[in-house]
Amino acid sequence: MSAATADPAITQWRQALVDRPAIVLGGVLVVLYVVTGLVAEGMFSANGIRSTLLLACPLAILAASQTLCMLTGGIDLSTVMTANFAAYVAANQSGQGPLVALGLAMLVGLAVGLVNGIGVGVFKVNPLIMTLGMASVLLGVVTVGLVGDGFLSGSTRLLPVVTDVASGTLFGPLPRNLLVWALVAAALIFGLSRTGLGRTIYAVGDNPVACRLAGVRIWQVLLAVYVMSALLAALAGLLFSGISGSVGPDQTNAYLLPSVAAAVIGGTSILGGVGGYTGTILGALILTVLNRLLLTLDTTEAFRQILYGLIVLALAWVYVRVTGQRGT
Amino acid sequence: MSSAPPAATATPLPQPSSRATRFRRRQGWVVGVALLFGALVFWRYSQIPAFGPFEIRGIVAGTLTLALLAMAQSVIVISGGIDLSVGAMMVLANCIAARLMLDQDLGPVILIALLVIAVAMVLSGLIGAAAVVSGVPDIVVTLAASFVLSGLALIVLDSPGGGTHPRFQELLVGGFDEPLPATLLLVAVLGLVWLPFKRSRLGIATYAVGSDRAAAFLSGVRVGRTRVIAYVMAGFFSGLAGVVTTAFTGSGEPRASIGATATLTSVAAVVLGGVALLGGSGTLLGPVLAAFCLALIPALMLGLGWDPNYAEVARGIIIIVVVMIGGLVQIPRRSR
Repeated sequence: MSAATADPAITQWRQALVDRPAIVLGGVLVVLYVVTGLVAEGMFSANGIRSTLLLACPLAILAASQTLCMLTGGIDLSTVMTANFAAYVAANQSGQGPLVALGLAMLVGLAVGLVNGIGVGVFKVNPLIMTLGMASVLLGVVTVGLVGDGFLSGSTRLLPVVTDVASGTLFGPLPRNLLVWALVAAALIFGLSRTGLGRTIYAVGDNPVACRLAGVRIWQVLLAVYVMSALLAALAGLLFSGISGSVGPDQTNAYLLPSVAAAVIGGTSILGGVGGYTGTILGALILTVLNRLLLTLDTTEAFRQILYGLIVLALAWVYVRVTGQRGT
Repeated sequence: MSSAPPAATATPLPQPSSRATRFRRRQGWVVGVALLFGALVFWRYSQIPAFGPFEIRGIVAGTLTLALLAMAQSVIVISGGIDLSVGAMMVLANCIAARLMLDQDLGPVILIALLVIAVAMVLSGLIGAAAVVSGVPDIVVTLAASFVLSGLALIVLDSPGGGTHPRFQELLVGGFDEPLPATLLLVAVLGLVWLPFKRSRLGIATYAVGSDRAAAFLSGVRVGRTRVIAYVMAGFFSGLAGVVTTAFTGSGEPRASIGATATLTSVAAVVLGGVALLGGSGTLLGPVLAAFCLALIPALMLGLGWDPNYAEVARGIIIIVVVMIGGLVQIPRRSR
């Protein structure tokens, strides 16, 4: 350690990594992909690349929610329930035409985001608790809606447009949902670095007191963040339903922890103010490839889970070590 | 600036607050939760014509696991962290216990119970050590750990099964209509494990680390060691929760979603119980009472003839509203 800090070349290296975490993560991704390719069949074919991108897309969009919230020092634990609810509503109302159905799904996201944002921003409820409570409320609403002649009962049919976008192929190895992902990524990367709201999001996460004293209306920033988070979650829910070809009240629940992990591995600090969406994209790709690698290993689900947890921990550990971005 | 004369008015010396004020400030929230609990129990009492030992046993024994998990979460939150693996730890302990206890005599079963708790303490200590040594935020470490623990639980028991000695159930959580054993266990854990720990140097160090890590370090508290010990304590509570689950259900259930739900409920109980998520304050009695309040909601809804599925909605709204009220109550206090 001491020798490393003394050597200016290595210090420079380290600084470069702190400034551009994407380089390390890109390296990890390439190595992981090659290793997976050596073990698994067809990873280097167009189809292999396509399936990786296809599966990483909804996870990355779900992780975008977490990235936004984590940048302000918060977290959104209600994203998966929002995703389930929105996807279910869209499939349930598909008889009314795609515009109405998709509009209703996004309305679900908007409503959840508004309530979360008002709770966190105006009433200053701890985001962990606010979104946890919201997840509980949504779970209850969906469960009640499904029983008997509740408002969600009745048949569900996926919208053709959802299936098309979520699982179709653009050309070659590129799935169609990459279009959605690219739009989201461009908007987030540009928005976070170049717009006033984007810079304020970082500032609020870094030092809320200084922000308040500087005249930032923090509640407006938080409201915007949680609304965007829930809308992204609704979008991710639609994509998930399109890939799996079905909807269910707990369909995406298993993706909550990976979405947080993708943002963390991508270098977004859970304490706020540090990170960005580029890292999260790489984080989501790394986790998707990792999942593929674990699936090819001829082992049980239990062992895969253990490895997954250990590798996520190791990645976070290495990341913190390399960049010197320690918790406290 | 220097021309200004020293202020002539004498600043009043800070007066030590009265006993009543201190009690209100420290225990006010817990008393509030206790009153809420009392009201809910009375409500439930008025719903059922024959409210007797059977009902009480059902409430106490059925909520024991959640109450213990709330304790585990509280210790970590008081030490300034958050543990998203307590539920998974409980599931793992449940699976180990159920697998080993199957077809054993009472003596070995009790030994196995102690062993399972020891294993949970060691594992939880390791998780804490990983968080301390790596410097990765607790929330991430324990999130990853919850995957590992759920995987281990599946290796121990790949499908629901296992068993325990029938006498063990009567001993730990009480038989059909005996509320006493479960109540005694709860009181014993609070009185014989938590209170001595809280009063000890370690307990005080835990509060100090949670309140202000840097200040605690500068006062000579070994921050890393204290945090690891908080995790070991949490391991004790969640291990015991697993053993209690084994005794209560008589089997092991490796489903990971049970652990995840239990973890989330434990966080909710901690917040409702008046333990600030910032760390360094609160006791364990509040979260325990809050766990009981949360567990009573579905039963009450059933009694009202509502769909018990609304209980989730009610639970979520109660959590949010209580925290909101807590925030409003605390804002003037802070600005004083």
